[in-house]
Amino acid sequence: MKRRLLALFVVATFISGIQLYAHHSFAATYHEDRTVKIEGTLVQFQFRNPHSFVQVDAPDDKGVMQRWGIEWGGAGQLGGQGVNRYTLKAGDHVIITGNPGRTVEDHRVRMVTLKRTSDGFGWGQEKGQTFD
Amino acid sequence: MGRVQRAAIVSFLLLGAMFITVPVFAQMDFSGEWNPIFYEDQPERVAGPEIGDYTGIPITDAARVRADSWKASVQTLPEWQCRPHSADYIWRGPSQLRVTKEVDPVTRKVSAWHAEWLRSVDNVIYMDGRPHPPDYAEHTWGGFATGEMVGQTMTVTVTHLKEGYLRRNGLPRSDTAKIVEHWIRHGDYLTVAVIMYDPVYLAEPFVRTTDYRLNPGGLVAPYPCEVVEEITRPKGSVPSWLPGKNPDLTEYAEKYGLPQEATRGGPQTMYPEYRSKLK
Repeated sequence: MKRRLLALFVVATFISGIQLYAHHSFAATYHEDRTVKIEGTLVQFQFRNPHSFVQVDAPDDKGVMQRWGIEWGGAGQLGGQGVNRYTLKAGDHVIITGNPGRTVEDHRVRMVTLKRTSDGFGWGQEKGQTFD
Repeated sequence: MGRVQRAAIVSFLLLGAMFITVPVFAQMDFSGEWNPIFYEDQPERVAGPEIGDYTGIPITDAARVRADSWKASVQTLPEWQCRPHSADYIWRGPSQLRVTKEVDPVTRKVSAWHAEWLRSVDNVIYMDGRPHPPDYAEHTWGGFATGEMVGQTMTVTVTHLKEGYLRRNGLPRSDTAKIVEHWIRHGDYLTVAVIMYDPVYLAEPFVRTTDYRLNPGGLVAPYPCEVVEEITRPKGSVPSWLPGKNPDLTEYAEKYGLPQEATRGGPQTMYPEYRSKLK
């Protein structure tokens, strides 16, 4: 099934000519086979290229408060998915899941899903809500 | 004048007219909007290579040490965030390519080509026979590139590149490297063979071919890039691994069931007979 989906993606990319943005290697940057969950307060939303970042204050697995840098899609790619620089605001309470970075002390995560508790806004659950 | 003579003269004039309409220096046209074709290159060109995968790349020991001590985290430093892919690597990027030409107004020959991708600078290839500057001249992301037509193939030589990378997993390419490209167009398809000669990080030439397909409606999107503080870290800290401390280097071999030695690269791993040595 995974192979079919990958083949479909490659063919669709080839036909549609959509923009792909790969800046760095995700496999080299993140543990793609692991998932972490971050729940905390959004400090800053950096909507930009090469990739957007969501800065969140949240506790780590030992309960110590950390500043997490959560990597998201580039501005162009997110813009095509309905996200803009005003979508998230400082003070938003968010729950984020993602792949942890290979450098533990960076407290860096690759966004997989996002949910804002105040209004239920979410990303990563719908088809096409991914980034490269 | 007889009918036969008249027919001969008319035939001669028609033949002459036909030759006049054929350009004296017919030259392959590379200009246009091109889409990347990935096929087996998809994992390399989009998602990106894995840590410790140097398989089949003719690297030197120096390159291996650099790559083993590399942390992807370094790319969050301000100096790295908006760095364009160099002229040699950008062919392996995932974005559309735009090729335009400059035409000399007098001779009407192509005097330069421009190649531009989403994350590149404007790469200029001079076709007017100018020499490359001396070694001490400025090094840039696009380097200094000259081209010449050899039949219907364009051969490009690139020098004066800033230090770059062979792959996005830390394998370096030095600023002394020379790059030779062969641009080959077959109808709507463009194949470019990039041959890298690097006296510092390559023990033998490294050859890769990459394909594109003409897409007349394509566009290279704007790409404004902004430097921010992506990761909070102590001032002056530069992410890297000390020799022997990188815990991720064996992951690739273990994941795919490969002998660790084979994934460490080097010229011997390029050749088919290397398989028999592993048995």
